[in-house]
Amino acid sequence: MTWMAPRTVAEAVRLKAEWPEATLVAGGTFVGILTRQGLLASDDWISLQDVRELRELSTGSELALGAMVTHRRIELDPGVAAGWPGVRQVFAAVASPRVRNAATIGGVLGDADYASDPPAMLIALDAWVEALSVRGLRRVPVADLIVGHYRTSLEEDELITRVLVPRGRHHVTFRKLRTRSREDRPCVAVAASLHEGRVSVVVGAVAERPQRFPDLCATWDPADGASAGEIAAGYADRIDPIGDNRGSAAYRTGMIAVEVRRALDTLAPAALTAQAAGR
Amino acid sequence: MSDPRIRASMRYPNDLTVPGMWHARLVRSPYAAARVVGIDTSLVPQDVVVLTPSEVEPLGGYGCQISDQHVLAGVARHVGDPVVAVAAADEATAREAAGLVEVGYEELSAVFDERDALRAGAPLVHDTHAVSDGDAAYFGLRPLEGTNVCHRFRIRTAGLPQGEPYTADPEPDDHADGFEAAQVIVDETFRMPAAQHVAMEPHACVAGWRDGRLEVTTGTQTPFNLRQDLARLFGLPDTDVRVVCPPMGGSFGAKTFVRTEAIAAAVARRLDRPVRLALDREEEFVTLTRHAATVRVRLGATRDGRFVAKRVWCWVNTGAYADCGPGVAMKMGYAGVGPYRFDHVAVDSFCVYTNLPPAGAFRGYGAAQSVWASERVTDLMAAELGIDPVELRRRNLLVDGDRFCTGETMHDVHFQELLDDAARAVDWRPGGDNRGKGVAVMLKGMQTPSRAEVDLRRVGDGRFEVLSGTAEMGQGAAQAIARLAADLLGVDADQVEVPPPDTDRVPYDTRTTSSRSTHMMGRALEAAVEDLKNGGGDYGHGRVVNEGGLDVDTGQGIASSHWHQGAAAAAVEVDDETGLLTLRSVHAASYAGRVVDRAAAELQQEGSMTMAIGTTLFEELTFDQGHVVGPNLSDYNIPSALDCAAVSQTLLEVEGAEVHGLGETALPPVPPAIGNALATLGYRPTELPLTPERVLGCAEDAS
Amino acid sequence: MNLLLQVNGAPVQVDVEPGVMLLEVLRDRLGLLGARGACGVGLCGTCTVLLDGEPISSCILLAPLAQSHTITTIEGVPDDDPVVRAFDRHHAFQCGYCIPGMVLTARSLLAECARARRSPSREQIAESLGGNLCRCGCYVKIIDAVQEVGS
Repeated sequence: MTWMAPRTVAEAVRLKAEWPEATLVAGGTFVGILTRQGLLASDDWISLQDVRELRELSTGSELALGAMVTHRRIELDPGVAAGWPGVRQVFAAVASPRVRNAATIGGVLGDADYASDPPAMLIALDAWVEALSVRGLRRVPVADLIVGHYRTSLEEDELITRVLVPRGRHHVTFRKLRTRSREDRPCVAVAASLHEGRVSVVVGAVAERPQRFPDLCATWDPADGASAGEIAAGYADRIDPIGDNRGSAAYRTGMIAVEVRRALDTLAPAALTAQAAGR
Repeated sequence: MSDPRIRASMRYPNDLTVPGMWHARLVRSPYAAARVVGIDTSLVPQDVVVLTPSEVEPLGGYGCQISDQHVLAGVARHVGDPVVAVAAADEATAREAAGLVEVGYEELSAVFDERDALRAGAPLVHDTHAVSDGDAAYFGLRPLEGTNVCHRFRIRTAGLPQGEPYTADPEPDDHADGFEAAQVIVDETFRMPAAQHVAMEPHACVAGWRDGRLEVTTGTQTPFNLRQDLARLFGLPDTDVRVVCPPMGGSFGAKTFVRTEAIAAAVARRLDRPVRLALDREEEFVTLTRHAATVRVRLGATRDGRFVAKRVWCWVNTGAYADCGPGVAMKMGYAGVGPYRFDHVAVDSFCVYTNLPPAGAFRGYGAAQSVWASERVTDLMAAELGIDPVELRRRNLLVDGDRFCTGETMHDVHFQELLDDAARAVDWRPGGDNRGKGVAVMLKGMQTPSRAEVDLRRVGDGRFEVLSGTAEMGQGAAQAIARLAADLLGVDADQVEVPPPDTDRVPYDTRTTSSRSTHMMGRALEAAVEDLKNGGGDYGHGRVVNEGGLDVDTGQGIASSHWHQGAAAAAVEVDDETGLLTLRSVHAASYAGRVVDRAAAELQQEGSMTMAIGTTLFEELTFDQGHVVGPNLSDYNIPSALDCAAVSQTLLEVEGAEVHGLGETALPPVPPAIGNALATLGYRPTELPLTPERVLGCAEDAS
Repeated sequence: MNLLLQVNGAPVQVDVEPGVMLLEVLRDRLGLLGARGACGVGLCGTCTVLLDGEPISSCILLAPLAQSHTITTIEGVPDDDPVVRAFDRHHAFQCGYCIPGMVLTARSLLAECARARRSPSREQIAESLGGNLCRCGCYVKIIDAVQEVGS
């Protein structure tokens, strides 16, 4: 068994290319669970624990989060809170502080767990990831990253290095419908963001991947009381949800219609104000 | 020094290691019903030992009330039934080896629902039902041969036809007997699903043989029952089995009777070395559960709100093995009658086998399932009659001198005060607007008959040692016993030691269940202290028995030498679009008689209420062809700190009263209090848990 | 591989397979039994230890990831610690299995509150302890104890 701990991103991607069977370890949460449950038996490991650049967080014209930045750090960073309230809100909503101490942004995106909260919000905020391999750097919108049940569009030898979130999305809402314990994962999650007159609504936790329908969102008229309900009904109609211990498929369909409508209703006042201001 | 539990200065059964011990792991059936037709161990390493059903078959069967279990299953009767045991010098090797054993099965027909199991043509989980003759079979057992009923319990009050033949009909006839004088009748069927105890510490034991004696260190609430069952299995006198029980990391009924100990003992005998068997969380879900039950209640009353008659049917899903299900079915039966006066009462409670994991003791011991049904029906009747639900209860509650449906005379009962306290806690407006509020009141029995013995000895330096078979599982038994002894002896509590039970040292005690221990051990201590004082001051022995019992064919006799009495009230809000139910407050009022240790008593109340919140709002085991869906704590939620915001409680004490156990009392009345509160908002709940989906599903306005 | 860990203020060396979790190192190699495994997926909190003062789930932390951090287990918390004493005074425990995790998590919360010069509310305490499950249901008294220290 080999434990590799590269110190730079370049070294990390080189190792990943040389050791295709090795397991990549970020915060270690997901890999830890799989190993403990006997679902993963790795001989070789590539740990990112010593790659300093992956822990960088910077706020400028965009928010740049290194893949190894923890949920907890994102939740507590004043710069994130000031410029990217949606990011702060969604990362703070994950599980408990103890889980957030270990879980990383790169990990949660790489794992592509259908019930995770952050992907839906990051898509609503038009975020993208930088994925690095020995062949170079790729920019992938988060919307195109998660493609299925625990599957991403990353190549085998690619590593998420940064997540970038554009500025200026202050009117956001994140709704997490928990049907059991308040510590439970969501039955339905809705992230919605308003930007330059456009609303972006993303539904998570109901299907293999987050669900967004820009064409439906484009029909939104915040001044029309029925508009939000129609869009919500449209989402409910188009999504084929899973059923699990948190709710049946039929229940989820019903709740998609409720939660999307409520998310839009939450953003309506800000949208109307922006319209009135002629922006 | 602070309590050793805070800084982990004590050891749990799960922590125990013994020099030279090996580790056992189990291979479990993936089928709900299947015969083992072949076992291939060719891939298992040479230095790993394998134990198979045929090797342990000569030991025979066991079971605390019905003898229906074997150490390893040659016929698997539920998913997870242990079929093979492997053991190795280290746990990782054992774990890996267990995965390399290949078992061939011939699948058999299975049945999962407690009423389906009674229909014509349902497969029989067991072909015959052999009644056990151990101490735990303390009442007449009545299996119905040729059916899946391993026990049935009946109550018929004197004015009703007696001695009818037994049928376990899942759709019983509409008997009018006893209801002739009823002007209004409510008849409804309810269901509570299976649940899991989720004690934080999983089951673990170490078993070893020394000079022909079996020694087991394990977490168990039933040391003497376990000793007896193991002794009989291995053909030993009881005194050649030693059970030592360190304080447990929770139990709630899960660690009762034989669990891991027989397998560990069999492997240890084969290896001639000590063996540890500890379960993973996933395995806990197929080891023991709470009985799912369907309960139907018919209540008849006069128009002015006097209860006339009650008819209760309980179909109790005991899973693949009876365990103490017969006792649970009996207690569920009479708890479902409730603390009320009736002219006529008839109860039929059936303990039914299915191919689900076995169900057994669970905090509340059957009361939760039937009190849910019974107290919901009380409110349905109140709505029918147009009488305030608290007032309707007041008109019918038992008071001292009244007879319960078993014929016994009630004494020291305080249902009225408890109900009043609960109603006050939610600001109940008599005859006014109580939308969003609900109440419930209930009674639960304490194991009757039972026996408690205790030894008390002076150990020098002004210190005393109490030798008691009461097991510590977090309820504070050891400290309560120390305090009781200290008070009687006139010394400080820290001058009294109460070591964990070791059957080689402590005298007999029935078991630590049924919230009996503080009361029974307290009385035994009084006798022991008296004996010590009369005998020179160095040693005393106390023995106390509470007499009674019920005729299981008529339900007449003494169900309980005294009663656990509780009421609860809840205030709720509902989001009508999502069905999400928010608890604004939950209050439980329980009769304590005399409180021994106030903090410990409050903790038992708060703990019972927290567990009840889980039962009411989200705890449910679901099965797919007998497989537990999601046997982990992500898929099975238990209440967190965020789920029990507004919990409050009252402990009712009366000067000069007996100590009444509090370990379970605050659990059963909470679900119906919440359900009754929900019902005022346009819903008709009958099935638990009240998940948002289920709430929407029981909305009275179907739009 | 050889690991150098800082546990309760002292350096320890252990030789382990890389795929071993910190929980097993603490329990099986170092005899520190206060961290427990109860769920296997890092949810219940009984395996909680502090890494640089912050709570983490040791049952799913690969041991090599714990290097170059300070590890604090309940055995590293003295008996006269204010949180320990408050738990004792309020009798904020029953079986005790979850309590080390509760104490460590509470200490971390209270240290953070002390730095920010604020007292945590009951809701904030419940939030912070939400990932520490207690089946005995001691939450009310646990929150009482933590609130008292934090005030």
